[in-house]
Amino acid sequence: MFPPPDPVSYYQAMTAVDVPRFVRADGPDKVTGSGRYAADLQQPGMLHAKFLYAGRTHARITRLNTEPARTIPGVLAVLTAADVPDVRYSPGVADRRLFATDVVRYESEIVAAVAATSVEAAEAAVAAIEVDYEPLEPVTELEAALADGSPLVHPDLDSYDIDDGIVAHGNTAGFSSIELGDAPAAMATAATVVSSCYVADSCHAAPIEPRAIVAQWEGEKLTVWSSTQVPFDARAGICQTLQLPTNRVRVIVPHLGGGFGGKCGFHFEAHIAALARAARRPVKLVFSRREEFMVPDRRREGMIVDITTGLDDNGHIVARTGWIAIDNGAYIADCAFFPQLAAMHVAGPYQVPNLQVEAHLVYTNHQPSGSVRAPTAPQACWALESHTDELAATIGMDPVEFRRLNGIDNDTVGPSGQHYERTGLQECITAATELVGYGRDLPEDEAIGVAIGWWPSFSMPAGAYVKIDDDGAGQIITGAQECGTGAVMTLRQLAADELGMDPEDFQLVYQDTSAGPYDTGATGSQTLFNNGRAVVGAARQVAEQLKALAAGQLEAAPADIVLADGVGSVVGSPGASVSIAELAATAAGGELLLGHGSGSPTQAPEVGATCVGDQGMAAWVSPQVSCHAVHIRLDPDTGVVRVLKVGAAHDSGRIINPMGALGQVHGGVIMGVGQALTEITVYDHDGHQLNPMLLEYKLQTAADGPEIEVKFIESAPGDGPGGAKGLAEAPNVATAAAIANGLARLIGHPVRHLPMTAERVWTELTGGIDSTDATKRQEA
Amino acid sequence: MTQPSPTNLSNRLGYELEVNGVRYPITADAGRSLLSVIRNEVGLTGTKEGCDDCECGACMVLVDGRPVNSCSFLAAQCQGRSVTTVEGLAGDDRLHPLQQVLLDAGGVQCGFCTPGMLISTHALLTVNPDPNEEDVRIGLSGNLCRCTGYTNIVAAVLQATGTRESNAGAEPEA
Repeated sequence: MFPPPDPVSYYQAMTAVDVPRFVRADGPDKVTGSGRYAADLQQPGMLHAKFLYAGRTHARITRLNTEPARTIPGVLAVLTAADVPDVRYSPGVADRRLFATDVVRYESEIVAAVAATSVEAAEAAVAAIEVDYEPLEPVTELEAALADGSPLVHPDLDSYDIDDGIVAHGNTAGFSSIELGDAPAAMATAATVVSSCYVADSCHAAPIEPRAIVAQWEGEKLTVWSSTQVPFDARAGICQTLQLPTNRVRVIVPHLGGGFGGKCGFHFEAHIAALARAARRPVKLVFSRREEFMVPDRRREGMIVDITTGLDDNGHIVARTGWIAIDNGAYIADCAFFPQLAAMHVAGPYQVPNLQVEAHLVYTNHQPSGSVRAPTAPQACWALESHTDELAATIGMDPVEFRRLNGIDNDTVGPSGQHYERTGLQECITAATELVGYGRDLPEDEAIGVAIGWWPSFSMPAGAYVKIDDDGAGQIITGAQECGTGAVMTLRQLAADELGMDPEDFQLVYQDTSAGPYDTGATGSQTLFNNGRAVVGAARQVAEQLKALAAGQLEAAPADIVLADGVGSVVGSPGASVSIAELAATAAGGELLLGHGSGSPTQAPEVGATCVGDQGMAAWVSPQVSCHAVHIRLDPDTGVVRVLKVGAAHDSGRIINPMGALGQVHGGVIMGVGQALTEITVYDHDGHQLNPMLLEYKLQTAADGPEIEVKFIESAPGDGPGGAKGLAEAPNVATAAAIANGLARLIGHPVRHLPMTAERVWTELTGGIDSTDATKRQEA
Repeated sequence: MTQPSPTNLSNRLGYELEVNGVRYPITADAGRSLLSVIRNEVGLTGTKEGCDDCECGACMVLVDGRPVNSCSFLAAQCQGRSVTTVEGLAGDDRLHPLQQVLLDAGGVQCGFCTPGMLISTHALLTVNPDPNEEDVRIGLSGNLCRCTGYTNIVAAVLQATGTRESNAGAEPEA
């Protein structure tokens, strides 16, 4: 029906870097429909779970009666806080329990859980539960929440267990600052000072797979199949909240249908495990799309950014101050590091000799925020980079030239005092602007905007085993989690390179906490950076074993054995060789070919700045930098912005799997387009979400998608395997900012509210009344 | 609130459903969606539920060759019709060319949209065997993908049809 594909020439056309040598190992499962996702799993006798949610954003429970639910036929378990251990948890600030006890703090807080023989019976049981509430005043505005006299989301916060280093009090769930030099004094000497305010609304990760969990007990052993990005975190959460020993709990992730951070953290595995124990049956939970939007403690945080920068006569930055408020929502989830990370993005990849940025993480009665792809970065970068174009315009300098002048370069010091020996930022600026033809003449309704961004690589614990079976085929058993990026798939390539084998010779056993050693999970763009080093370490052990065996057979020294093309041979005597398959057969009769590795910690960089509420975010291992240049068209009658082309240049160190890397940039860019223009979670005055469905929450479609051209700058290698850095989040940082700068050129001033929806753009164009906070604050 | 009735058998229907050329006897409530019956009664789970509201396209199947969101199509309406799911695309020993080219082009990441994307592509190419890039982008605009930015999916479809004029990154750099 169709001509056969020609993948090699296709990839040579797409990228200057190497042609991939293989397709992803999980690919055939995914294109044929044979791959199982969590919602596809069935167990004999399996029940269906439903949760009762508060439906109020802030209220006190005055009566809770579950008896009517228990009488409904088919209902085998009804649980509330009274039925599970009284444990408060959450990373950093232990501010929540599995079930509401007295106060509910967001509308989707779980009050009760039901397991029944059908979904319909479970729904009927949830509807039958009787709860009375006494309303409490909701906290929904960030600045009001920080003001004296505000109602408190957690009046007993000071009595909670709070990790050292976290500054939390009142409605502040965490405060961090970064201070370098003397910003107020330097600001007073500046020739030009520009102040800006920007407000970003919250949005969602919106993976296409809603989450699903199946839990099953066999005696005292629990197996949970979950659509989580972090199976080891999920296991830890189950063990903490249900008070179980680690080795009795196994978390397995079937194929995962995307996460984007939305499936990081520990969520509902313990609820389902507790239901399964109470009902003595396997229990399954599958979220509706509405629940996927409203319930998990993962939402991209809303943010207010005030920023002031002082320049000298030559346009050099002499000082920057910033104030940031971040909407944490009702519980802290994994947000403790967000304030300091946001501060780094408001400081930006610039040479700023005097810096003072303060950031507040603010409790509200909204759904909790949590790591969504490059948390804090797209919003903070959008604010900073819009401000940067304002700076350039104020002194009459080309904005790209301004970034070249002030951006970090090789052997420079950044805004937190970290010294950068090598960075590809300046090359990224050149590459991205060339990709879209920055500076050329355009029709009057079109413009090109440019923004730069950065993102850390995260050094985390990770482990893997590599073994060669008796037929010479290999297996990689890793704790790493694949969420679609292809990072786990790429581990085959690293093992193959160490062992002189073909990537196709390896099978992967992964995302199973009882099979592989610990890994942090598909979070923080860390998989290849850390687990890649673990696999290389494991494969090197096997390589040494193979070389010793080959040396014995070939009567040579192990150091003279080379493994390549599936054989071990003696250096300088290619005729003297033995196949890895033969060596494996020999090994199978005695000492087996087994290796294990755990990426050794990378050297922590020095922080030059002074930090209050330090969360380790002010100096980065293997920093990634990027520049996005975006060609847009604006319809002045409607305010609709069309993104025509995105040129994305990235320094993420050495690119190991070009196919996977390109996919990450493409996906990050289009997510950035959505965040720039259409993706907004709308709340009413009391903090209820108004648009938790995909028609009302507009993702970009194929018809919206721009042309995306990518260039990788590989001149500044990182500490990952072969010089790699992280990648998956970095492409999501600068796109919205670049779109904003193109738009500001067409309008004549920035749109100060993210997303820059057609309505907001039209309001700016027509001079109509903008009711947004940003405009009011800027004018105040 | 009206409570749903979990054991109301009065609306159950018995009928035959043909999926991927195989006829299945079905007994199910009249209100059951085609998606639910395919996944739970027929037992083919390649077709995914992403929204249950016709918004994401993950549940796309062919009914008599036409693409429908099976979440919002009654199974009982498919009596006497032919349903094709993603499991019906591949041959016995080899992938359908569309499946192969989607893999080779890097058009698969998490894979959750992939079955629906393949069905929509198949439907598009059936009525328009030689689409240009805009045709492909519009043809696939009912299928949400959060991973790929659509770039490699669109390029794969154009590759499959032999069209090389894509500007979605498939052209050599000048």
